[in-house]
Amino acid sequence: MEEEVVRNQYTDAQKQEIFDMEFMPHINAMYNFAYRLTLERDDAKDLLQDTYLKAYRFIDSFQQGTNAKAWLFRILKNSFINDYRKKSKEPSKVDYQEVEAYYNSEDVDRQITPDLRVESLTNMIGDEISNALNSLDVDFKTVIILCDLEGFKYEEMAKILDIPIGTVRSRLHRARNLLKEKLSEYAKSMGYKTA
Amino acid sequence: MNMPDMNKMKQDCPNKQECLQLLQSILDGEATAAQKETFMKQHLQECMTCYQNYHLEVAIRGLLKQKCSNEAPEELINSIKEKVIKNLGQ
Repeated sequence: MEEEVVRNQYTDAQKQEIFDMEFMPHINAMYNFAYRLTLERDDAKDLLQDTYLKAYRFIDSFQQGTNAKAWLFRILKNSFINDYRKKSKEPSKVDYQEVEAYYNSEDVDRQITPDLRVESLTNMIGDEISNALNSLDVDFKTVIILCDLEGFKYEEMAKILDIPIGTVRSRLHRARNLLKEKLSEYAKSMGYKTA
Repeated sequence: MNMPDMNKMKQDCPNKQECLQLLQSILDGEATAAQKETFMKQHLQECMTCYQNYHLEVAIRGLLKQKCSNEAPEELINSIKEKVIKNLGQ
């Protein structure tokens, strides 16, 4: 953690209480995040377990009364980048900076105007949206998960991801356009009119 | 939001992407009250593109929440708890 870390000296009982009352309530959200990042149930389990054990090991640097969920999500995201992304048999083929540079270019907004209708979404009763989310580049799906599924504010997301708020905002915008593009493809393949 | 008069609405928005970004900030709870007021009460009443985008954004958020959550397996939760208890006092 970059910001000033105040280390506490919690007793075992306090540690147990923080763990049970502040960390465990987020376990389902954390599991979902781990699963969406790794896309493998077994890896998600390992990542979740590593994250919780790490959280416990570093519990003295957690300040009671601060946002435990954001603190945990940050550990999970860092563990994923440091441990799992490297291990992955198929590392991301695209350099993320290139992807972001591309999606930040002015032309793309003009190109990506997915013509998707609400009516075709109501027909997506299966795994379409889940598959569409999973198919996004990891940095794009992450912002959608943090914002739309977990309800983090932009400022919290900036801290979790170590990026400026402006980047959170623009990355979210690109991510949502890409998600719509995917959904639009599904809608077309399902035979629904998109426009 | 009041139901706008569809016949009087503009069909195309000259600031589509900017409006979409603002709309997303509003739905994310990150816009100012004034931005929200102007956009929701004025612009959405007169612009078909943004009106449709609004409903699409809301629908996608709803679908994400409904379809993209997973619960942690019970045995995993128990195993994490056990490992932490074992670590107590170390």
